[in-house]
Amino acid sequence: MRASSPIFLSLCIGLSCLAAEQPDETVRFNRDIRPIMSDTCFHCHGFDAKSRKGKLRLDLREDALKAGKSGAIAIVPGKPEESEVIKRLYSQDADEVMPNKESHKNLTEKQKALFKRWIAQGASYEPHWSYKPLEAPTVPAMPAGGHNPIDAFVGAKLAEKKITPSAEANKERLLRRVSLDLLGLPPTPEETAAFVQDHSPTAYEKQVDRLMASPHFGERMAVWWLDIARFADTVGYHGDQNQRIFPYRDYVINAFNTNKPFDTFTQEQLAGDLLPNPTEEQRVASGYNRLNMMTREGGAQAKEYLAKYGAERVRSVSNAWFGSTFGCAECHDHKFDPIKSADFYSLQSFFADVKQWGVYADYSYTPEPELKGVGNEHPFAPEVRSKNAYLSKKDQEGRAELQAHYAQLTQSIQADDQKRTAFAAWLKETNEFLTAHPSGLVTPSGSFLHKAAPPAPAKAAPKNTNATAAVKKPVAPVMPTEFAAGEPIQLKRGVAKGEDFAMSLAPTATPIASVRIDIPKGSLALDATSNITARFGIADAKGKERPVGFFLADASHREPRYNSTVEAVDIVTGWTLKMPDADVHAVWLLDSPITLKKDEKFIVHFESSAALSFKVSVSPISHHDPLKVTDGAFLTALKTGQPSPASMGSFLYSRASDRPALEKARAIASRIRWQYEGFAWSMTTKSVAPLTVRVLPRGNFLDVSGPVVLPSTPSFLPGRRESTPEKRLTRLDLANWITSKDNPITARAVMNRLWQQYYGAGLSAALDDLGSQGEPPSHPELLEWLSVEFRDKGWDMKRMVKLMVTSRTYRQSSSLRPDLKELDPNNRLLASQNPRRLDAEFVRDNALFIAGLINLKDVGGPSVKPYQPAGYYEPIQFPNRTYIASTDDSQWRRGLYMHWQRMFLHPMLINFDAPARDECTALRNYSNTPQQALTLLNDPTFVEAARVMAARLLTTPAGTDRLALSFRLAVGREIKASERDSLGKLITDQTAYYKAHPAEAAKLMKVGFAAAPTADPIEVAAWTQACRVILNSHEAITRY
Amino acid sequence: MKPYDPISHALSINRRSFLTKSAYGLGGAAFAMLAAKASAAGAPPASGFSKGFLRSPHFPVKAKRVIFLCMAGGPPHLELFDNKPVLKKLDGQPFPESFTKGQQIAQLQNTVLKARGGSFEFKKWGKSGMEMTDIFPHIGSVADEMCVIRSLKTEQINHDTAHAFINTGSIIKGRPCMGSWLLYGLGAETENLPGYIVLTSTGRTGQQPISARQWSSGVLPSKYQGIQFQSKGEAVHYIGNPEGVCQSTQRQVIDEIRRLNGQLAEETVDPEIATRIAQYEMAFKMQSSVPELLDFKSESAKTIESYGIKEIGDGSFASNCLMARRLAERGVRMIQLYHRAWDLHGNLENGMKMGAEDVDKATAALIRDLKERGMLEDTLILWGGEFGRTPMGQGSGRDHHIAGYSVFMAGGGVKAGTTYGATDELGYHAVENVVDVHDLHATMLQLMGIDHRQLSVKYQGLDVRLTGIAGKPVNGIMA
Repeated sequence: MRASSPIFLSLCIGLSCLAAEQPDETVRFNRDIRPIMSDTCFHCHGFDAKSRKGKLRLDLREDALKAGKSGAIAIVPGKPEESEVIKRLYSQDADEVMPNKESHKNLTEKQKALFKRWIAQGASYEPHWSYKPLEAPTVPAMPAGGHNPIDAFVGAKLAEKKITPSAEANKERLLRRVSLDLLGLPPTPEETAAFVQDHSPTAYEKQVDRLMASPHFGERMAVWWLDIARFADTVGYHGDQNQRIFPYRDYVINAFNTNKPFDTFTQEQLAGDLLPNPTEEQRVASGYNRLNMMTREGGAQAKEYLAKYGAERVRSVSNAWFGSTFGCAECHDHKFDPIKSADFYSLQSFFADVKQWGVYADYSYTPEPELKGVGNEHPFAPEVRSKNAYLSKKDQEGRAELQAHYAQLTQSIQADDQKRTAFAAWLKETNEFLTAHPSGLVTPSGSFLHKAAPPAPAKAAPKNTNATAAVKKPVAPVMPTEFAAGEPIQLKRGVAKGEDFAMSLAPTATPIASVRIDIPKGSLALDATSNITARFGIADAKGKERPVGFFLADASHREPRYNSTVEAVDIVTGWTLKMPDADVHAVWLLDSPITLKKDEKFIVHFESSAALSFKVSVSPISHHDPLKVTDGAFLTALKTGQPSPASMGSFLYSRASDRPALEKARAIASRIRWQYEGFAWSMTTKSVAPLTVRVLPRGNFLDVSGPVVLPSTPSFLPGRRESTPEKRLTRLDLANWITSKDNPITARAVMNRLWQQYYGAGLSAALDDLGSQGEPPSHPELLEWLSVEFRDKGWDMKRMVKLMVTSRTYRQSSSLRPDLKELDPNNRLLASQNPRRLDAEFVRDNALFIAGLINLKDVGGPSVKPYQPAGYYEPIQFPNRTYIASTDDSQWRRGLYMHWQRMFLHPMLINFDAPARDECTALRNYSNTPQQALTLLNDPTFVEAARVMAARLLTTPAGTDRLALSFRLAVGREIKASERDSLGKLITDQTAYYKAHPAEAAKLMKVGFAAAPTADPIEVAAWTQACRVILNSHEAITRY
Repeated sequence: MKPYDPISHALSINRRSFLTKSAYGLGGAAFAMLAAKASAAGAPPASGFSKGFLRSPHFPVKAKRVIFLCMAGGPPHLELFDNKPVLKKLDGQPFPESFTKGQQIAQLQNTVLKARGGSFEFKKWGKSGMEMTDIFPHIGSVADEMCVIRSLKTEQINHDTAHAFINTGSIIKGRPCMGSWLLYGLGAETENLPGYIVLTSTGRTGQQPISARQWSSGVLPSKYQGIQFQSKGEAVHYIGNPEGVCQSTQRQVIDEIRRLNGQLAEETVDPEIATRIAQYEMAFKMQSSVPELLDFKSESAKTIESYGIKEIGDGSFASNCLMARRLAERGVRMIQLYHRAWDLHGNLENGMKMGAEDVDKATAALIRDLKERGMLEDTLILWGGEFGRTPMGQGSGRDHHIAGYSVFMAGGGVKAGTTYGATDELGYHAVENVVDVHDLHATMLQLMGIDHRQLSVKYQGLDVRLTGIAGKPVNGIMA
């Protein structure tokens, strides 16, 4: 036996205030006896028939009351002296005593006495608390000063123990607490002042309503749910490639902001794709089912990984919605809880229709024809494309900015004669050109220039093409030597990479600003692909060529190109074209328009892996969008010859004479392109014919001897639904059962977890194990009441949050109570609030917010990359990864948007206990380590925040009490005299130091991308040290 | 042994604050994890054995620290430690189906399996006459310090999951790795350095990715995580002062933080504050001790040469081996070196030669250096990969293999100059004295004085252990 016997000891100590300690108190089975039985008896006398000994079951009363193998009766109600159990517990005989020696378990005298008393009182059983049906308890009388029924339940317990609750926290601290709890952001000094001055009885409630209406409420709640949903940006196994899933995060944020009922939230995630006419949003939500880790590792066996994915899904779903640990049942019936192996696999069976691959690649030894051509850079199908609010907004902002830029230019040239004349001349020229060439294009004559040695056959042929056979030897001429103006060119075979095929085009009357290649419909078989690339040059009279650069190109039909699953939309030399049933064209925009001199020729180097028919044209017109150049409506507008922002844009690009203005336009246009017209891809669930799911003996996927199981809800929970051979239940049936009145456990699990967010610990502290090995709730009736409220009043999340944060219990001071050290050492009775260190993401948000550096302009959107130590991703391969920190203002977005690399999570996140989200995480650790100190002291994010905060303080009007302001900003309270003295001295010392070392101050000002301050760097450097102190203080990272 | 107990854990850190201020518990968050499960029995007594949660050893303590030289990618046992003349004879012939039927296969799925004989000669080394490859002459020269296990089996045939398994004994994510278990059970002997340090190096061929998960503390608090020393940039993340902040400014800032935190503690009862103050001191000490650690000036030219180091701190395995010795000297509990090479699906002979150049001399030098300093006797060295490689050829290389492969141990409590276990005549299955990964873990823990069944943490209602529900210490490996 383990001498320390932790579980029993803890029950006596941790919950000593809750257990039936007085001889006259009623012993309660769930509270007092079940935990003992679970830990010491059930292993041999419980649910698992295979490990049962002496044919004795103690978990069922009727079995425990029967005579056992020996004839003795384990439990005789009312008669401990006749009960075999008691005899065995007190036996001195080593062969007889229970728990037996092999179990390494032991009971304390107190526990034995408790057992005895329970039998004496009649040995009544209760169903396990979390599995029994939910029933609304009677709310106890409201204690004086109580705000809502939470206080009635908590107050009743406190009154029982004759404990008075703590006083309400002071207003400054209270607002900071509730702001951090509801938004993950501190209040501003103005908000604090307004609250302090508001003496109305509803002052606090008004603040709660304000905070809950904020779009940042959804962001804060999302952090909670994303751990549960195991949301991450990468797949987790082996190459840890990126996956496209951020719209799911947006969905979650939005769901909390719009207060989507939890039953709908559940349905959409588990079965959004199965709803009638699912919306894009519902399909995005069903991405939940795709958040398991995935592999693309060569040599992985699809069947093995499908089994791994299936098992993980059961663990995650059961933890998320049942707060229970199904994990053990993968290999055997649960020893302590009535979870059978069949339950594990029948839950898994609900998800057997989710379209997925065991290995997301097509290897020769494990072919997956559907994944042909999929490489390490590719996304993980199936995905759904949907309109994304963040990208749409950025797209519109970009377009507006570009229009404004053009409009501003149009206006500004009025003041400049030369520019105005040039613009007018261009408009006229363009008008004339378009009159002569309504298509906007000239198709010159030309000749086939030269052909280098043919490439080595096949090897040089690009991948992903069906046309590679065409480049095999012998090499036939590619085309005739001459072609006439306006005529298409028919290649006789493909032109491979490296084969320098070029044609020279006759000079045109107008400059060349863009080049267009047309590939008419039927040029390739339908759905065939061809890789095309082009580059350009000018040949002088002697045939000597100089290159002509282009800055952007696009094609009307092309396969996307990926860089770590991000679709590349910027400059490219070529694409894989997939031939649709339509004409295809591609346009290249030259870096600067060219005008050929006499005897010069325009050279086009063109490669195509297929024997295409094509036509090369040129145009004097350019634009920020390549495909616009020959767009009919655009040309018509241009032809009017009227100055307008649109024509100004085209002028800017076509002439390229005002280089700074052009560069600016290009930068904006590039930003617009990266918004993908406001659409985003996201992994989704697609339902296909279900895989066969069997019970796997010992979890071994190679063992197919187990029975096939169909979907059914857990056997030990009420209202069970089972598939029949005729009707197979679906994920939607599962979701509907989960949120039905029959199921008691989901409401309990969710309310228990939510409680932890505001009170520091769950009512049952083991958030992820509501089974018998977990902890019975400290306030069972309260949890019951919350769960019934939640389930019966519309699964209304905001309502429950509000109940929790408006209670008197919540509003108490968080200073712990030395007077209760003996009575309630863990503050489970809640005679005060509990302090909580901020979660990793909020440690970041808080510092950036205080500094005034945080970017709160938008909600949702793609993941961002804050500064990260160089080389951190070095051990990642397939593909190799280079981390490039975000250079725009997304650098200062909130922590929940940080790129979540499962294999190498950002060190700041790790150091503050954020989980890698490999699996569902219901409860984070809250450690207190030197790594946290190093992060806050030295991570550039926090150093930058300190220097920006310093600059912020120093730009306040002269006479401002800056130190006082710094405390109001950082910890929401007034500074104390001792703090002021001490920090004042630090600033004085540091000012002297930096005065002597101005170069050091200059270096410090360069930490981070934020602009250097306008204030004196020496002063800022000195104040930066004070701000570092404040941002590092325990108070700043703790919600009191 | 009792499971992890956040309350007594915090109390042990906050003992003084607890006693003097009569704080009576933890902030809600800190105890939430397992409050009801925890014993409030208080801090362990100070003992030379442990600064962690084990009070006294369960077995005689043979080793105080572990150096795991992880040959990531899976070196081939048939080229190194396990000589199979029969396989050589069968070279190029179809591989007998009786061996492979029903077995898991990686990249050789759906292909014709052919035997591939070992590429190098074997010879007998040392007084013990241990049979080993001739391409590791340096390691051969310390054969008398080694115990080669030729019958190790693992359960996972792909790199990622096999690494998870050999590090944590489970493929379920969130299980603590062995270094974290040691730190949790025994604590660190160093105050100024992390107790568990990871270094990585990259070979010239056969690299495979590794994951920070392999040194994660999983469900244990993050203070038990392995701290990775970077081969580029700062050795430890955020160890250097910010640009433009000198050491004395940093000191003044930390003093000021302490002052602020001290004032907070006077009016707010929260034991975490005292811990926070202590952690800032520790952080500052680490900031000064890491540069000292990285300064190899005190190492003689002879020592540096013996490891085959071309350039100090060049991120090579050789440089990391010398660092490992320096860390061991400073009391770091677990030192893990990953050398990413060895995944030799093709071009195996060449890859092995390069691997030998990078690893052979340094490994032997580390063993010898520790021995000369009298540290080998209480340092346990484990050398090996996450799996072995098939006796079947894959072109010019070998595929992943899990049914039987070799690793070696040396130092603290290991039966030196011996081999243990054997595979069949083709080197496919471990058949004699089979050791599985849990057994290996149980053995390592026993050498550290720990009964593997008694090092556990409560998580999701389970007693989670490094060895799961399995594991048997292997007496034949222990002296």
